[in-house]
Amino acid sequence: MNAWSVQFNEPVPYQEGLDLQRRLLKARQEDRIPDTVLMLQHTPTVTLGNRGRANYLLKSEEEYKALGIDLFHVERGGDVTFHGPGQWVMYPILYLGGNEADSHGYLSNLEEIAIRTLGDYGIKGFRREGKSGAWTDVGKIAAIGFRLKKWVSFHGMSFNVSNDLMGFGTIVPCGLEGEPVATVKTILGEECPDLPSVRDSMLNHFSTVCNRELERFDADGDLPAELKSLF
Amino acid sequence: MSVPQDLFYAKTHEWVSLENGIATVGITDFAQSQLSDLTFVELPEVGVTFEAGDEAAVVESVKAAADVYAPVGGEVVEVNGELEDAPELINNDSFGKGWIFKIKVADESQVDDMMDADSYEELCPSE
Repeated sequence: MNAWSVQFNEPVPYQEGLDLQRRLLKARQEDRIPDTVLMLQHTPTVTLGNRGRANYLLKSEEEYKALGIDLFHVERGGDVTFHGPGQWVMYPILYLGGNEADSHGYLSNLEEIAIRTLGDYGIKGFRREGKSGAWTDVGKIAAIGFRLKKWVSFHGMSFNVSNDLMGFGTIVPCGLEGEPVATVKTILGEECPDLPSVRDSMLNHFSTVCNRELERFDADGDLPAELKSLF
Repeated sequence: MSVPQDLFYAKTHEWVSLENGIATVGITDFAQSQLSDLTFVELPEVGVTFEAGDEAAVVESVKAAADVYAPVGGEVVEVNGELEDAPELINNDSFGKGWIFKIKVADESQVDDMMDADSYEELCPSE
């Protein structure tokens, strides 16, 4: 099955990314576009999922503002997380309600993409029973939270590459107290791959794991007409 | 995967059983299996009126949230309050104790637009 991906080179403000996801969601529901994956970084943002509890926020709204961190309550599953430059966010807008659905389930597929990406850099990633996401010996690298509307997915997965972990210090990530968060850089130090390399690795694994051939586009470049009107 | 023969199905993976003008609505076994263990169900309020296709409820697992649509229009006359404490009823018995809400159907012919079990089964992945 063919799908598109669109990558952004500069960090995108959360609201802008959310609005774009919603436009793509609607277009996908109406079959105006094929499955489409957004790959981007966000400017510093803390988001709370549907059941996200505000006591996992360690700062007041004013303090977040003073730190330059945007705060959002969003309609995805999952709890509290942080996004910022140096972290890839993958938002697959996929129709999951048809007979191409994978019996392993979408959540497991997202975890698999993260684990295989870590493997490309010699890092052992794994799942943990009862806790979603991708983990390493030193902490959690990938966090997942998504929503289905008419069985089209939006929101998705974040993957820490070289982001400043300070942002996670302002929350209790995913509501898991005492569980450390890590980045690829925490583990590899100076050997940390650059962001485009990790992005390409994630998109390659998306293709294999989700069984969708990707035609890749740059948000600043030439987009197919169907997408152009949505950006 | 079970697909009972005597129900009507929507493309968005809801099922309907119709009796005396009351439609009981739930999500299918396929739908619950894709969402994994449910942790929360947001029920509609009794008395609200939906058009067919309106968002009526939300089911959530640890990392996923999905909308449930009203497959037929009408007034909500009952909701399954047991789901508030036991959302796993949907995982364990999606076509029975895991029903979500009941609608007094405005126009019974609306179920004619829904799928029968055989057509629905074709829509779902074959294992």
